[in-house]
Order: sequence, then C-alpha cells, then structure tokens
Amino acid sequence: MEVIGKPVNERNIDAVAERIFHESIRILGGLKNLVEYRNLTWLPSLAEAAYVIALKNESIKTNREIAEYLGITEQTVKNILSADENRVMEYLKGESREKEHVAGGIAKLAYRAIKEHRDNLDERMEIMEESARSLGVDWAVHVLSNIKGLNFPVEKEDLLERLKGYQIRGKPIEDILDSLEYPIKSPAELLHAIREAIKD
Amino acid sequence: MAMEEYVYELRDLKNKAPKIFGIPTGTKLDEMFYTVNYDEKQDRFIKKPLGGIPHLAVMNITGIPDTGKSLLVEQFAVYQAARNYPVLFVTVESPANFLYTALKQKAQVLGLDFEKVEENMIVIDASQNAELREDMSSLLDTMAYAIKKKNTKNVVIDSVTGLYEHREVLARQIVRQLFNFLKKWNQTALLVSQKRSSQSSETAEAAGGLAVAHIVDGTIVMDKEIINSKWSASLYRRNIGEVVRTIRIDGCRLVPHSSDTYIFEITDTGLIDIKGPLSKITGGD
Repeated sequence: MEVIGKPVNERNIDAVAERIFHESIRILGGLKNLVEYRNLTWLPSLAEAAYVIALKNESIKTNREIAEYLGITEQTVKNILSADENRVMEYLKGESREKEHVAGGIAKLAYRAIKEHRDNLDERMEIMEESARSLGVDWAVHVLSNIKGLNFPVEKEDLLERLKGYQIRGKPIEDILDSLEYPIKSPAELLHAIREAIKD
Repeated sequence: MAMEEYVYELRDLKNKAPKIFGIPTGTKLDEMFYTVNYDEKQDRFIKKPLGGIPHLAVMNITGIPDTGKSLLVEQFAVYQAARNYPVLFVTVESPANFLYTALKQKAQVLGLDFEKVEENMIVIDASQNAELREDMSSLLDTMAYAIKKKNTKNVVIDSVTGLYEHREVLARQIVRQLFNFLKKWNQTALLVSQKRSSQSSETAEAAGGLAVAHIVDGTIVMDKEIINSKWSASLYRRNIGEVVRTIRIDGCRLVPHSSDTYIFEITDTGLIDIKGPLSKITGGD
C-alpha cells in the first residue's frame, strides 16, 4: 500500500528540472564559462541530475521508479542523490580532489537555491525583457506572457480576448490577428505568423 | 461562441453510454440497488438485484458522527482491492497509519488476502497536509497521479466535508470539481460527508445538505437512534438504552433502488452487517 503524503504535480516536473538546470549553469559561472573551460561535456550529466532532483523532491518517486523513468541505472540515481554539495564546491574550487558526483551536487545546490528564492529569477527575467526590448522583440515576450494557459490550437477570438488593445510597431494587434490564418497550432506558430505579418 | 463539442445527436452517445452493472461492497447494500430487464419469454420486466453500487457512480455516504460511514467505505475499499480492482483511498480525517491498521483488521475479519489489498491500494494522506486539503488543484493533480500510477477503478474520499470545513460557501464548487474529475477518470466513487446532528434524518439536509446531494449520482444515509422510550422499544423490538442503526438509499439517478430503510449492526469486529428492511423487522408488510 503506497501512501502519498504531499501534493504531486507531474506537469511541473519539466519546468522544475529546467529551472534547476539553468541555476546549475549559473552556479558554475554561466554557459560562457563552461565553453571557455571546455567543460560542455558536463551538460548531459547536469540535465540528468536536474531531472533526478526534480523527480525526487516534487513527485515522490522511488529511486527505482526514477531510474526507469529516465532510463538510467538505480546506482546513478543513488550517486546523484547522495552527492555532498559542500565537497562538490570544494572540488570545483580545486580545494579537494575527492571524487563526488559533481553534477548531482551542483543540481542539489541549485534546487536548494530555488527553494530559498536565491536564484534571482525575477532579476534575470528583467534582464531578459530588457535584452528583448533592445533587440526589438519585446512584443514576443508580451504575447507569450498574455497567452499563458491558453489551449492550442486557438482561434482569433481567443487571442483577441487576451491581446486586445496591444500594438506592435504601431500596428494594432486586431489588424495583425485579422491577417493570420486559423486555427493556430502552437505558441511558436503564432509568434512566427505575427513576425511575418509585421514585416511589411 | 458556440461550443459544438458539447452538442450531441442522441445516437452519437450509443457507444459512450457506460454499461450498467454492480460494483460489490461486500455488504447487503449490493441487494438494495436493482436492474430492470425485459424478459421476452415472460413478456414482462424483471427486477434483479444489481449486485453492488452502480458502476461509475459517484455516491455520497452521509450521516451524523458514529453511524458507520467510515466503516462502510473501508469495507468497500478492502473488498474491491482484494478482488484485484485497485482503489485510491483519500483519507482526510484519519492519518494513513491508523487507516492501515483499520484496513488490515477488516481484511482479516472478512477472510481476504491482505497482501492483495496492500498491492491494490494507494492512499493519499490529506489529513497531515494542509495544501492537499485546502488547494483543490493540488489534490486533483495528486489524485490524477495516483489513479494513473495504480490504474485505479475505485475512489474513496473520507471525508469531503474535511475539504471545506472552514469554508462551507465553497462546498458546492469543491464537490462539483471532484464529481467532474471522478467522471473524467472513470472511477466508481464513495464520498463520505458529515451531517450535523441537528439535521433530521428524513430531510434533504440529511443527504449532506444541498452542497453534496444535488451534485452526486446518489446518496446513502446512515443514521442511529437510541431507544429511550417504551414506544420505540416496542417499535424496534429492542430494549431501552440500545442503539438502532439504519441505512437507506436517498435517491440514485443511475439505477432503481429500494426505498426501504434497512436496519444494520456494527459487529464487534467493525463490520457493517445489514439485516433487512425496517418494515419487516417492525412487523410491517
């Protein structure tokens, strides 16, 4: 008889794993740092570790279930989960030569940072929005944040309801949406269609 | 905007209509639901016991405290799990370890294989987690996970009242969400709901109040009365000071059912033992 004692939300696992992955890269000094030090081979292990940590903490799966779910061995799951975060940091700084599951330790540190709201997500979102604005694609951020939760494929009416009154490069969204073909299958297709429509 | 997907020609529903059969509870409640079939040879409709609560029904089990609601749903859960039909048990009142003891004891008394019960039962312990009790989307996500994981056919929630005890204005909304969810996942379900002792057993409130009874497929009302007058002692053929327990089906929209009130007992080993219609026991026809 299995007992579930806390909420399970499988839909969030991908999002949590992605967030752990991004935070892990930040802890490692950013993607550029990894490129410079030719450490890009770490990334698959890091992705794997991010999923293991997300599944263990957010979906109450056993080690064996996690291993089956990800197609890895149960021993790898154990190594990731038992990695000592502090020793991993010492190893990265060159203060220790003791072998630990580095990706597991980093992913655990990243998960802790996320849970303690130390991953500065809001600040980074602001920087991303800033960059999008300077590149002239801030409309894409606006469209995506306003259609959040909308079920695709969508019709014009659903999009109008969410985007009413917005203008892209001086063109009213109503006119832009009038020129698109429906139904639109995905957010990516919508962004592509809008980009084509505002080209002229 | 027209929502064509919700409009059907009657014939479109032919293949979607669920088959009517009984899901046994291991009690005589199974004989209180009927099926009516036309017999060509005899050229008449024949009424037969359904053999359980209707398949895919969401039933409300209600009554004042200590009327045996939890015992009934535990008995149902153990009986179904032992027959290899996986059960999701959402415990809102009693912590899971206490539930485990109760279910183990029931299996022993009923002579069922507890290993099978363990294998076929998944429990959500909402009694220890406020988020599961107070955030419906968390509870429904967790239930969906458990249903998928064990491929459950039956759901027991003891009790739904615990999900809205401090916010009764939301009761209808919560029960409606649960009802729609259970239908979507094709589960046969028993929802326990509490009735206040001030609500008389023959009123609509006895069926869990307007919140629950009008949404679910049917209601089973459990009640108890202490014999405290010569009149009731003679009516029930019991001694003064004894407790008389009754059970009745207060409506079911899926199949016909007995409209009698039945007498039942809770055995020393914690089982529900339905004896027969009150009318027969008290000397009626």
